[in-house]
Amino acid sequence: MFSAFSGWVIGAALLLAVVSLVTAIRNRPMGVVILAGLVLVEVALVVQAVIAFPRAGEVTEQATFVGYLLGTIVIPPAALWWGRAERTRWGPAVIAVGAFTAGVMTGRLLQLWNMA
Amino acid sequence: MNTRVNTGPGRLLVAVYGVFALAASARAGVQIASKFSEAPLAYTLSAFAAAVYIVLTVALARGNGRLALAACLIELAGVLVVGTLSVVDSQAFPHATVWSGYGSGYLFIPLVLPVVGLLWLFRNRRLGQV
Repeated sequence: MFSAFSGWVIGAALLLAVVSLVTAIRNRPMGVVILAGLVLVEVALVVQAVIAFPRAGEVTEQATFVGYLLGTIVIPPAALWWGRAERTRWGPAVIAVGAFTAGVMTGRLLQLWNMA
Repeated sequence: MNTRVNTGPGRLLVAVYGVFALAASARAGVQIASKFSEAPLAYTLSAFAAAVYIVLTVALARGNGRLALAACLIELAGVLVVGTLSVVDSQAFPHATVWSGYGSGYLFIPLVLPVVGLLWLFRNRRLGQV
């Protein structure tokens, strides 16, 4: 369950990163699509944390696992808070970094999960 | 030109430094809490790297160019020294830090980041806004 869901989360986060990057390259400020995408990714990350958290005890590196779970939840709102004020191409660029980081961290979560 | 340290490209720089501050602190925290005695030097450097990233994130975000410049130079020296030592004397660094192998575990971003940071800060300094 966790593995399958996380696969989708990684896909969604990386897709958002690409869309944000393209927006930044096209020199556009952040629009509704990126905002909606970010909310969607955040919801998925929270669901993922809710699924995974009670079973963190089964993972070998518990501290790292829980740290990554918390990190993934915090990053999208932080990226939104920091990127939203910037009404230039650099706003979506910030979102791209945040989304990419969330995707990579979910990948690490999946690794830790499969190691157990 | 109305460029400032923490707007435009600077905003992106802060975001990337923020991610590294988080990643390096978490890594150092776990290393020191769970297995400090295994490699005290490497883990102390891990914590030092984390501190440098935190200072840089805050300094850049608040537009404190002078502090950011100093931290950026320390960061560049750190990644070069630790990177070189980890390659030459791998015995001393049996466990990875963010700066091991010039940041090879992090897509070499730790090596590129201080250079980009310095270029950005010098550009702003030339414009007389730091």
